Amino acid sequence: MPNKTDKSEASTKTKNFRRQRKSKEFSRKSQMEILGLAIVVVLILVATIFIVRFLVLKTPTDYRKGFISSELASNMLNTFLKTAARDCSQLTMTELLQDCAQGRGIICDNGKDSCKYAEETAKNIFENTLDKWNMKYEFSAYTNINSPLIKLGQQCRAEKRSKLFPIPISTATMYVKLDICG
Amino acid sequence: MHANILSILDIRMNKKGQIQIGETIAVLFVFFVLITIGFVFYVKVIKGNIEAEKEELSQLKSVGVAQRVMFLPEVQCSEDNIIIDNCIDISKLDAAQKLMKENEVYYYDLFEFSDISISQIYPSDAKWSIYSRKTNDFKSRFVTNVPISLYDSTIRKHGFGILTIETLAR
Repeated sequence: MPNKTDKSEASTKTKNFRRQRKSKEFSRKSQMEILGLAIVVVLILVATIFIVRFLVLKTPTDYRKGFISSELASNMLNTFLKTAARDCSQLTMTELLQDCAQGRGIICDNGKDSCKYAEETAKNIFENTLDKWNMKYEFSAYTNINSPLIKLGQQCRAEKRSKLFPIPISTATMYVKLDICG
Repeated sequence: MHANILSILDIRMNKKGQIQIGETIAVLFVFFVLITIGFVFYVKVIKGNIEAEKEELSQLKSVGVAQRVMFLPEVQCSEDNIIIDNCIDISKLDAAQKLMKENEVYYYDLFEFSDISISQIYPSDAKWSIYSRKTNDFKSRFVTNVPISLYDSTIRKHGFGILTIETLAR
């Protein structure tokens, strides 16, 4: 038969065991709660990133850009080449550029040769158009790309819209090129 | 003694229940707050999408108007009944201006609220306004500049001009 001391020892052991189990249960519960909180924080962070990405950092799309830049480069060159020179017997820019590449026989009323006159006219036109609209460009007329006859503007460093017009001359073909940056 | 223990237990249980109800209310409150934030965000995204579509539509409309003006038979150059692209006949401009003023309703269907003008920048400076119908109640304004050849039929020569199309969208 177990005596009184044995009984109390057994009950203390049971109590200790229960206490330990309870404490373990508590710690597991708190761990779960912390995990839950962490998930909520992660969800809030993801939502914030999503909001910032789609609402705050949203850049407006310019749908007209493609149309404008493609029209601009080709129309600009096309129109320029057709334009008649004011003080050069109403010769077109194409004729002046052809002469420029073939020996510069034409001297205009203001005393300038065909190359200089075409360059000045192009400069005047681009100053009143592309420069005014804050558009960067590179205009060149050449038979050999390494030594252009006329060169205006600056080379595009990134995206560009380019238009190349070949002009026949007696010896070879000359090219007029316009790059519009952006 | 037994009744005393029961009453203590009852009070404890009551307190625990109240705490749990409080907890449930707090959780529900947070849940509804999150739902509200989500709904507000959703509405904002939808609103943003509608605005973007509206903007796209206005821009496309502006491109459409620009193209209609560029190929307007009233001002386009032609030689032996063959249309010359990207060219405007100066001698047709005065007649076109008059015609557009007389048939405002017809041209409104084509150009809506816009301002169309042509400026010659070489060999001399000149400006023509061919259509103008503006509104103060607009949300977006688009300006399209198109280089265009200006043909002077009296000397049979081309000049350099800019066709400026300003469209206003409500």
